[in-house]
Amino acid sequence: MIVPLTHVLLLAGIIFIMGLACVVAWRSNLIMMLIGIEIMLNAAMLAFVGGGAHWGLVDGQIFSLIIMALTSAEVSLALSMVVYLHRRRKTVNANDFSELKG
Amino acid sequence: MKLYLSLIILLPLLGGVINALVGRLFPRRVSECLACGVIWGAFIASLFAYHDYNGAIRVDLINWLAAFDFQAPVSLYLDPLSLVMIVMITFVCAVIHTYSVAYMTEEEDYVRYFALLNLFVFAMLVLVLAENLPLLYLGWEGVGFCSYALIGFWYREEKNATAGRKAFIVTRVGDTAFGIAIVWMYQLFNSVSITTLNQMGSTVSVGTITCIGILLLIGAMGKSAQMPLMVWLPDAMAGPTPVSALIHAATMVTAGVYLLARMFPLISPSSTALAAIALTGGATAFYAATCALAQRDLKRTLAYSTISQIGFMMLGVGAGAITAATFHLLVHAFFKALLFLAAGCVIAATHHEQDIFKMGGLKKRLPITFWSFLAGGACLAGLPLTGGFFSKDSILMAVWLKGGTLYCGLYLLGVLTALLTSIYTFRMIYLVFGGDDTDKLHCSSAHSCKVSSVMELALIPLALLGLFGGLINIPSYLGVGWLGALFAPLTGGTELETSHSLELGMQTIAGVIALAGLAIAHYRYGGNRRQERLTAAAGPETGVVSFFLYGWRFDDLYRLLFIRPYEALSSFLWQQIDEGVIDDSLDRVAAFFGRSGELLGSWTNGRVSIYIISFAAGAAMLLAYLAWLS
Repeated sequence: MIVPLTHVLLLAGIIFIMGLACVVAWRSNLIMMLIGIEIMLNAAMLAFVGGGAHWGLVDGQIFSLIIMALTSAEVSLALSMVVYLHRRRKTVNANDFSELKG
Repeated sequence: MKLYLSLIILLPLLGGVINALVGRLFPRRVSECLACGVIWGAFIASLFAYHDYNGAIRVDLINWLAAFDFQAPVSLYLDPLSLVMIVMITFVCAVIHTYSVAYMTEEEDYVRYFALLNLFVFAMLVLVLAENLPLLYLGWEGVGFCSYALIGFWYREEKNATAGRKAFIVTRVGDTAFGIAIVWMYQLFNSVSITTLNQMGSTVSVGTITCIGILLLIGAMGKSAQMPLMVWLPDAMAGPTPVSALIHAATMVTAGVYLLARMFPLISPSSTALAAIALTGGATAFYAATCALAQRDLKRTLAYSTISQIGFMMLGVGAGAITAATFHLLVHAFFKALLFLAAGCVIAATHHEQDIFKMGGLKKRLPITFWSFLAGGACLAGLPLTGGFFSKDSILMAVWLKGGTLYCGLYLLGVLTALLTSIYTFRMIYLVFGGDDTDKLHCSSAHSCKVSSVMELALIPLALLGLFGGLINIPSYLGVGWLGALFAPLTGGTELETSHSLELGMQTIAGVIALAGLAIAHYRYGGNRRQERLTAAAGPETGVVSFFLYGWRFDDLYRLLFIRPYEALSSFLWQQIDEGVIDDSLDRVAAFFGRSGELLGSWTNGRVSIYIISFAAGAAMLLAYLAWLS
């Protein structure tokens, strides 16, 4: 492989941290938080694919396919919940939903 | 023999238990008959035991305590000492039970009274018949408990309950010393059997024997109200009068003397321990006699006279004269029970008046009581030819014959005490029965000053036994005394070899002393001078009279020495240590955890972002830790 594994993992780490920063920083909008989560999942997928290519195993690619399926399911569910919440409270700010506080 | 001894022990227990459990279900008369019947039954059984007695015998009933090589079965030991004690105890107790039936007719709570009285007799008989020290201790504590419960019988009055507690706590001091002595003897000799222990006296050093003797003496001090543990007995008069007669005069308080006489062969090698016993007895006899001189309360006067007479018995034990001490114990039991029962008649007749300065003229109103009381008083004072005269004289003579500075001093103290005894006895008789001013005594025609005939009849056998008690052990110039011959097989006691002229001389001295006391009392309280004393006594007591009245102020001394520091210590421990240190530190720990919990709790504020940051921070820390590991 031309690109060494280290570079792939570094890129995956950077993307993951950017996704995490998006989730943490952009909490006034639930949709942006979901996008952040998507970015983190993609970073993980990238790490899987890089690992699979490096060792010549097919597991990494299988896992990234599973993550794709899981992500599509998760996004459809999460978006429907965001729409529902927006209907009820007329807001998508995550800090306004604190009913589960101890 | 086994049957008789079992009956003696079990009958009072049976009566007490039945009365305590189901006594309420019976008619009153049945309970009373049961209580009296079992004691008379025990008396008859002890008479049979006396009749069949031929030599010391040990009877094993059941196993009680057994662990490894420690053995304390319920076994009884009948020897001359316990034989005369059980006959005396069952007889005096039976008379007093019968008297109680009449005395307590108006008492609602008679079942508790009779149950406790029966249990007391049971415990006392266990104490006397026990063959080993743990069993003796069981009886010892049993009489202590019954005494406590009976002193505080009318517990609804604070004063009576306090007197009961005081008796219990003060005697506990002595019991502790006795308990230590038992454990120590077991450790030394590997046995708790009295007969075994009594043969061991010479096998250990004299110093050890002295220590054991002193510990036993402290135990006896508590139970027999000797100095310095005598403060409970005058207060114990808060109980019903028959209880005072039974427990605090005739039987229980002599348990200490009995214990020392019982263990005498063990402690006799130590002359120091014997001297301590004699000194305690002599000092107590003198102390109590001076206190009795100033008392105003009829029963307290008798209580102090009891302390004084038990002091004489201790003096006799200390002088090694077991026979003389037991002789005085027996005669004293008869005449002191008599005096208390007669005092009970007086108190019942005067509607619970106990101040002797408010009595008078009872001679005509209560002739039988008067003559009985006079007989008891004559014995107490030791007027010649009464029982008390012979017994007290034999103790004094034993002390004199012992020789040495200490014993000579104690003899002189004993003679002085005998003089004081005679004075206070006749002071009491003159004040209670002399004169004719009965107006003070609420004896209007409405309440006639009469007492039940059962109560007066009960006095007569005791009076006869007291007066003719001298026949139990006649002086050696008249023949062989019954008690002396019976006690001959007992080891350890020194038998007195004395010339008849010395004996006669001593008895003359004792007789003159007693008569001198009578003369002094007559001079101060007889005839018209009685009225002067009454007027003089109306004011408050001052100086030496009040010193004697309050028992040399020993109560105040103990309050200062023990009770105040104890209360101060208790309140310090309560407020500073318990509340200040323990509670406070626990409170602070609890508050710390509470606050830190609240602090952590504020983390869960429901904001998803905080959770995500915390989660990310935790993951970062984990990663950092893993990086640091590799």
